[in-house]
Amino acid sequence: TINTAPCILVDSREIASGSEVISYLKAALGLKVEVCSLGGCDYIVSNRLAVERKSQSEFSNSVNKSKLVERIQHLHSLFERVCLIIENDRVKPGETSRILQRTKYYDSTLSALISARVQILFSSSQEETAGLLRDLVLLEQRKSTGINVPTELKGHKLEEMQFYLSIPNVSYITALNLCHHFETVRQMANSSVNVISEHAHVSVQKAEEIYRYLHYVFEKEMIL
Amino acid sequence: MDASESTPVRVGASSVPCGHAIASEKWRGTDLAKFLQGKVKLVFEDGLGLVDFHLSNRTCILYITECEIVSGSSYKRRLVRFRKACTLNGIVLAERTRLTDQYFSPVQNFVVLELGMALLPVASQSEAAQLLFHLVQERSREGISNPFIRKKHFQLPDASILQTIQKIPGVGKVKALQLLQHFPSIQQLSNASFSQLENVVGHGIALNIYSFFTQ
Repeated sequence: TINTAPCILVDSREIASGSEVISYLKAALGLKVEVCSLGGCDYIVSNRLAVERKSQSEFSNSVNKSKLVERIQHLHSLFERVCLIIENDRVKPGETSRILQRTKYYDSTLSALISARVQILFSSSQEETAGLLRDLVLLEQRKSTGINVPTELKGHKLEEMQFYLSIPNVSYITALNLCHHFETVRQMANSSVNVISEHAHVSVQKAEEIYRYLHYVFEKEMIL
Repeated sequence: MDASESTPVRVGASSVPCGHAIASEKWRGTDLAKFLQGKVKLVFEDGLGLVDFHLSNRTCILYITECEIVSGSSYKRRLVRFRKACTLNGIVLAERTRLTDQYFSPVQNFVVLELGMALLPVASQSEAAQLLFHLVQERSREGISNPFIRKKHFQLPDASILQTIQKIPGVGKVKALQLLQHFPSIQQLSNASFSQLENVVGHGIALNIYSFFTQ
């Protein structure tokens, strides 16, 4: 199932807010762009890296802080690496681009993000964002963490996908890898930590988390 | 090559007290140092080598001026030497002005994508001072109260497991609870034989579940 064309997964909600990013990505030579419902994640560029795209104005406004915090925490729980692209707002014809008013909020948020090991990239347009995403995809491919499974699923595999996605802290790409690299769910449920790590392309730590979940003994009293 | 460059990074500069920063002697008397006065206690030291500021024992700042960006590749050599010399977290501050705006994208590609370091643009030394102040504050907290670092609170997965079982076609909450009573983990349920399942949920659904796991 090795798929050599570099692949990127795009959340379907980006069709509305980042339509240019998607068209530039598609125009970029050789990149396979798959629009999926990623549920709380803008772009998945490899087995371990998720990218969140924020406009400069949205990022700079402290009103959005809790939303940003929630989103980054969510991505950290799903992915080994998280990248944030801060993109300049689109300038309407006749307007000059607004100069960033640098606030305490802006600087302290950047500082906290760096301290939390979030990779930060700045982009001046949707076109540049697409270029950065392509660079990230190629970089991850060179590190052998690129996405190399088909994104299309049919019939029974669709049901399996929903099952895998319901495992806590399993990302869309991890679920996809589970679908493609295990013949049956039974086989997956009986696998060792190492086999899960290898087939799902996740760290041993994440594989352990999945393993413990599969073996956890349910007690009805805990949910009532 | 001047003398300071022969020691790329001075290890001795590694213990920085809270609220302090160690600055390379070359920053003495600059606008940046003036703007930092009263906010961060700056200690000037000679021979920091490639580093401009030490913020903590793990983190340091490399500053790239407008002039360096315009004139080209000398800053690249400096950053590459830094990366080779040590494993400290290097944060690069780069002056992004009207003059250097056109170069920002290649600088970013080099610093972030090629070298894997953090890069933050600043428009002036006064902006850099503000940012340094916040970076120092962040370092002195060392992760505590950083909202982006997730506190791991352990949650029992029972409720999630009930949800997962309900992803099997034909299984709702009632059937899921019945199943878990007999096969209390996902792994055990996956290994249930058809007749074992049939005894719990009846023929039709047992067929669904069995084929879901083994198909």
